[in-house]
Order: sequence, then C-alpha cells, then structure tokens
Amino acid sequence: MSTQNSKEETMTASPVREPAPPPTGLASSGSSLRSKLPGLNSISLLLIWAAVIVLFGITQTSTFLTTETLKTLAADQAITAIMALALLLPLAAGAYDLSIGGVMGLAVVLVAYFQSHYHLGFVFAILLTLCAGLGIGAINAFVIVRLRVDSFIATLGMSSVLLAAVEWINGGQEIVTGISTKFTNLGSDQLLGFQLPFYYMLVIGGILWYVLEYRQAGRYMYAIGSNPDAARLAGVRTGRLTVTALLGSAFIASLAGVIFTAEIGSATNQAGPPYLLPAFAAAFLGATQFRAKVVNVPGTLIAVYALATGIKGLQLSGAAFWVNDLFNGLALIIAVAFAVRASRKRA
Amino acid sequence: MSSNSPVVLSIEGLSKTFTGQKALRSVDFQVHAGEIRALVGPNGSGKSTLVKILAGYHQPDEGAVATVDGQPFELGHADAAFAAGLRFVHQDLGLVPALGAMDNLALGRGYIRGRSGTISWRRERETGEELLASLGYDFDFRAPVSSLAASERTGIAIARALEGWRGHAKILVLDEPTASLPAAEVNRLFEVVRTVRDNGVAVIYVSHHFNEVFDISDTVTVLRDGAHVATLPTADVDEPRLVELTIGRKLAEPRDAQSATAIADAGTALLQLIGVGGRVVQHLDVEVGPGEIVGVAGVTGSGREEICGLVFGDHQRSGEVLIEGRSVPPERPDLSLRLGMAYVPPERAAKAALLDQTVRQNTTISWLKPFYGPRGLRRADERAETNIWLDRLEVVPRDSEALFQTLSGGNQQKIVLARALRIKPRVLVLDEPTQGVDVGAKAAIHDILRNAAAEGAGVLVASAESEELVQLCDRIIVMNQGRAGRECLAAEVSADELTEYTLRTLAADPA
Repeated sequence: MSTQNSKEETMTASPVREPAPPPTGLASSGSSLRSKLPGLNSISLLLIWAAVIVLFGITQTSTFLTTETLKTLAADQAITAIMALALLLPLAAGAYDLSIGGVMGLAVVLVAYFQSHYHLGFVFAILLTLCAGLGIGAINAFVIVRLRVDSFIATLGMSSVLLAAVEWINGGQEIVTGISTKFTNLGSDQLLGFQLPFYYMLVIGGILWYVLEYRQAGRYMYAIGSNPDAARLAGVRTGRLTVTALLGSAFIASLAGVIFTAEIGSATNQAGPPYLLPAFAAAFLGATQFRAKVVNVPGTLIAVYALATGIKGLQLSGAAFWVNDLFNGLALIIAVAFAVRASRKRA
Repeated sequence: MSSNSPVVLSIEGLSKTFTGQKALRSVDFQVHAGEIRALVGPNGSGKSTLVKILAGYHQPDEGAVATVDGQPFELGHADAAFAAGLRFVHQDLGLVPALGAMDNLALGRGYIRGRSGTISWRRERETGEELLASLGYDFDFRAPVSSLAASERTGIAIARALEGWRGHAKILVLDEPTASLPAAEVNRLFEVVRTVRDNGVAVIYVSHHFNEVFDISDTVTVLRDGAHVATLPTADVDEPRLVELTIGRKLAEPRDAQSATAIADAGTALLQLIGVGGRVVQHLDVEVGPGEIVGVAGVTGSGREEICGLVFGDHQRSGEVLIEGRSVPPERPDLSLRLGMAYVPPERAAKAALLDQTVRQNTTISWLKPFYGPRGLRRADERAETNIWLDRLEVVPRDSEALFQTLSGGNQQKIVLARALRIKPRVLVLDEPTQGVDVGAKAAIHDILRNAAAEGAGVLVASAESEELVQLCDRIIVMNQGRAGRECLAAEVSADELTEYTLRTLAADPA
C-alpha cells in the first residue's frame, strides 16, 4: 500500500546533522529479516560483477574467459586488495589514513635497500621494513590522538613526507641488484597455479575479518566510528583503539610494499601512491555491500575484483591504458554518492 | 473558545507506514487559529511521526488530505510547510553546534545585509539580542551553541522559529520544548507561547508532561498506537482521565514514604564524593549508601547537570570519588565501569547512541567478555542475552538485530539503561534517566532503578524534574550555584516544594 516502505523512522532526523564519517552504504532496512538476509542492495555488486563477466565473456571469449586471465587478475589485484584492507581498520574507527600509499612506497624501497646496500638477510630486511612501517603508524597515531590533528590532514601531510623520504633513501634510483632470490621467490612462486601474493592477501583478509567481526577490538572500532563520545562513555578507550587502527593500517601497507618488491624483483620509487585511490574506491564501494553502512572485508574484496574485472575486460577490448584510473575514480565517486543518497533516504 | 475560531490546519486520513509497521493509522486532526493544542501519547504513538510529516521530513502514505486556511496543502514537503506558515522547534533543536547564537538565528532566514551585500554584523547582533532578550535570555551571543546550557539552546531554537512570526507564521509546532528546561524557564517559555497564541497563531505543543498540558493548553489530542484516541477541551479532563486515555490503563501508585532513615543508617557508603569540583560544581561532598537512591535537583546552571559526568569521569574534575573506598580516577570511563560504576548520560543521541548499529551491539558494548569463546565473540550468546534484556525492559520491537535508530526514544533509552544494568553495577549514575520518555516507559524505568537499589546498588540520579525525584529517590540534594544546598528526604517534600527549594536557594543570596 505504501511506496515508502523502504524508509524508516529515525528519532534524530534533522536537517543539520553533522555528516557521519565516510563509510556509509546502501543497505537501508532496519527490519530484522532484511538485515539478516542480504537485500537487493547488498548483493548488487555481485550481480554487477557477474554481468561484467558475462558481457566480456561474450564479446571477448577467446581472451577474457581464460584461466590465464583469472590468474593474472588474482595476482595483479592482490596488492590493491591488501592496500584496501589496510584502510579498513582506520575507516571502521572513523579515521582516514591517506598515508598508506606513502608507507607502501617506503616499504618497497626499504626492503630492497636493506638487502642491496647493507647486505642484510632478507628476513631481517623484511622485519626492519615492517618496523619502519609501524614507526610511521606510531607517528601518525601520535599526531592524531595526542596532538589532536584531524586524521585527514595528518596523514595527507605524512604521505608527502614519505614521498620525500623515498626519494632521499636511494637518490631516486631504482634498486635492481642485490635482492635475494629467496626473497623474490616469495613473491613470484606459484601454488595451485596462483602466485603467492594472492594467498597472502587471503590470509590478511581472513585475519582482518576475524578481528573486525569476532574480536572486542573490532567491535570497539566500529563503535568509535559510529559515535566516538558514546563509545568512550561505554568504556571504550578510544585513543588507544585509534592508535591500534593506525598501527594496523601502516603495518598492512608496509606488508603490501614488501610483497610488491618480492613480486617485481626490484624497487622503484613510484610504487606506493598509485594504489591509494583504488584502495579507497574498493573500501567505500565495499561499504555498500553486506554489512549495512560500514566498511567490511568481504565487501572490500569483492569490490576490488569486480572493479578489476571490468577494467581487464575493457583493456582486452582494446581500451586505452588510462581506463584504469578512469574506472577507479568513477567507482569512488559513485560509491560515495550512493552511500550519501542512501543515508539521506534513511533520514 | 477555540471552536468558534476558524480552522487553520485540517488533516484527514493521514497514515504512515515504516517498513511494514504502521506508525499512523488514518488520523484526522484539526487545529483552530489562536489555540494551544497539546499533542500527547506514549512513545511510538505517532506524535513524532505526525510532526515530522508536517515538517516535511517524512512522506505520508497516499490518501491523506490536508488544508491550511482552507487552501490545499501538500504534506511531506518542507518548502510547502514553510510557505504555508508552519514553524517548528524540534526536540533536537537543529542548531549548528560550532556556531554562535547569532549565526544560528541568521541561518534560518538569511543574514541581514547592507546595500552592497556585505553582512551587517552590527544589525545582526542587535536584532538577535533583542529577540533573545524578549524571551528573557541573556548569554554570550558569540559563544558556540555547543558551549551553552541546554535551556539556552532551546531558547535559541524557539527564537529562531518565532522570528518574524507576525504575519507569516500560522502554526507553531513545539516538539517537547521543555525536555531539559528547569521549572523557572518553563514558565518563561509558557509566557512566550501564550503571547504567540494571543496573536492568532495556532500552537501545537507536543509533550509528555501532563502538568504542562494542563498549564498551557486549550485543547488536547491524544494519540495511541498511531491512532487518534480523543480531542478534548483541556478544561474537560483531569489528570487521571488523561493518563488513562494515553496509556490505556491506570498507573501504579507512586511509592509510599519508605523507611528512608533506615536506609541512611545502613552500612558504609558505596559511593563517596569528597571535595568534587568541576566547571560549576565546587567542593561537593556526597555519600550514597547501598540500596539508596539519591537525587540531585537544581535549576540549570546550578551544577546539577554537571555532577553525574564528573562522578563517572566524562569531564575533568578535582577532588576524590570513591567506590567502596577505592579511588575512581578522573576521565577514565573504562576504569569507572571496571570499578562497578555504570553511567546513563544525558543527551542520548550525542553521548550514548550508536545509531547505525544494532540493538544488540548497543546493549553489549560495555561488557563483551562473557561472550568470548575459543573462536571469538559468540553472536548467538550475545543475541540471547540481549533478548533477555528486551523482555525485561519491555522493549518494542523485541528484535536484537534492529538498528538502534529505528527505535522510538523511550525504547532507545531502555537500551541505554540495559547497557548500564548489564554490568551489574555497584553504583548507578544517571543524568536525566527518563529524557523524552512517555509515562508508561517512565514508570517502567523507575521500577527498574528501584529494583537495582533493592538489590543493593547505590543510585545517584540528577533530574530537572522535581516530580521524578520525589517519586524515585530516598534523599534529594538541591544544588545551588555549584554547591550542595538544602538536603531533604523525598518522603517529606512534595514536587512543588522541591521546585520551590531549587528556586528559593537561588534567590537566597549567600552574601
């Protein structure tokens, strides 16, 4: 009888509510049935993904529907997926980390530099690199939690500092020699036909999913993202958890850098920053899926691969190399536009 | 009187459905020019929905017909509502917290500008100050609204709605305008509302407080379960009748004077405040014994609204707070909870609600440990315990996975209470525990608090409502200019006397 039944009552509806932190989504129902079952909204990305596969499967049968394409996609996107996962902790806790691109770039150079310049064993080089990543995360956390600088500003500044650091470390030169083959094998070996980075991504995603869904820390981070004051008064140590989230994002981003270098076998100084935007696009697009309104692991991973499948199909159809950037940028804007529209509808 | 004056707003057959739930069932509603119409009903009765449809936040179901001054009026459109002369003061006021009173006033109507388009700050300030002064308010005009007292914020919102009402506004809708106003300011508000009425404007006054309904309204409309129950001249009903109409049953008798003296003697203090101070509060010493409910009364600005936050650790404080002799560190809500102190904050939306999370997540957030299994948090256990609380506090709907924001105010407040009670607190600290809650839910919340006390918890309640304190507490401390003034046994004072004390101590200059 009503055409409005997708809307719901909120006691706080008000035209001048502060905009909520970024991750908002499409799922709009408050009824128990709808929130338990994935509604039309929350599986739409899967449908779109399927449609894309069918479309390019028909138009580009010989090149697109091959195990080769599947494997390249899986491996190529592993780094993007890890970078998107890195964003989830701070985004869940209502903070931005724009420095993950810079942290990854730093890790890419550091892990090679330690091996080629100081002739350190690769295990030691990896550990030192991850520590450096955590150090950056700690600085971010200090600036945001202690000095109370807005996370967007703090990490934006940090990413520029990191660009400088990367150039300074090796004078802007690519590092191609002195990298252990044992190390590069970790990035290029295959298991069951897939490159190892794909599995690293799955492991990181699994751990993150478990922490966000089944640990107190995850619940606390989502609570902070929802209402920091209420979370604090409910006994959540908001500062400490924000620190944890920022350490987590920096750690995962430096892992991404290490894996990137292992996969490529050399270290360029341009590696990290290009991943920042696709990571955000996937995290926000993923927030529209599965779990109402908030960033989540399965949604993010599906978003990464749905986007990549579309881009791959276009490239195989002869599209120019810049469709990559175009596609990711559009996806970011559209995802957030949908999220904003959904939350407006809700009010 | 009002039935002779012309109908200014007429609505017929107004229904509203939210995801299968009927919030309004074919409501007919007429308001006459120059009357004050009280709109009452329990939470979830549809009052808020009705107001929000009038304001254009919600779209009505099809089939509703509305007119303003005989002209067709399209419900569910904010612009149409404004053009038709409807003005609103919503419960959450709709102010921009970071801006001052002046800017908040100007945002509604546009800044006053000179010939070149430059904002004339001088005229802006004069106009605004005059307007607020006419309501009897006097505070720093440039201070961000967020730093003002709740009553001052209400004043700004009312001033903004009233601004320019001469000739334009036909209907003023006030949604729970006294939610956090002390008695003295309620009367001031009433004077303003009557002035508005006497100028031919119809006032729709949404309230849970029946004493206000009787004080101010000419007619009263009762809603229950989304349906129109009755519209009567206020003079023709008494309070028991109105309560019956509202909740569909009679209320329990307020509790008799219990042996307050016996309680005061019992044991050592559970909660001790020694020389506690904050922004307003100075050197406050209070003791709460096991099983005792201690109330804090006082007008806004007396320190009443600050105490609970100081005790729990929301704000910076000086002095000592002890629970069973153990010191509670300041500004550490997590440690306060661990020491067995639970807190129900004022301003639920800002300080307690995780609006976009589920009822379950809102209930369990303060104590997740019992749900830990070998593989992390066990959702099923969480759901089961949440359901127990939903049953115990009679929360509707009984759905642990519903989003918190879909619940009505009273049910949201019960969830916040469940969050506090779940930790099995030794000490309960509550600031306005029945904020924006209907009579039925209010009685239920009072029962819950009495039970907690009966089981040995110490309870500290701050409230702007004298009646609530007298009904609920054993002992009441009246705050006056940041210090504990008179202290009285609840059994020995009436609500009116208590209100008088809060005002009288204010007038009694210590000098």
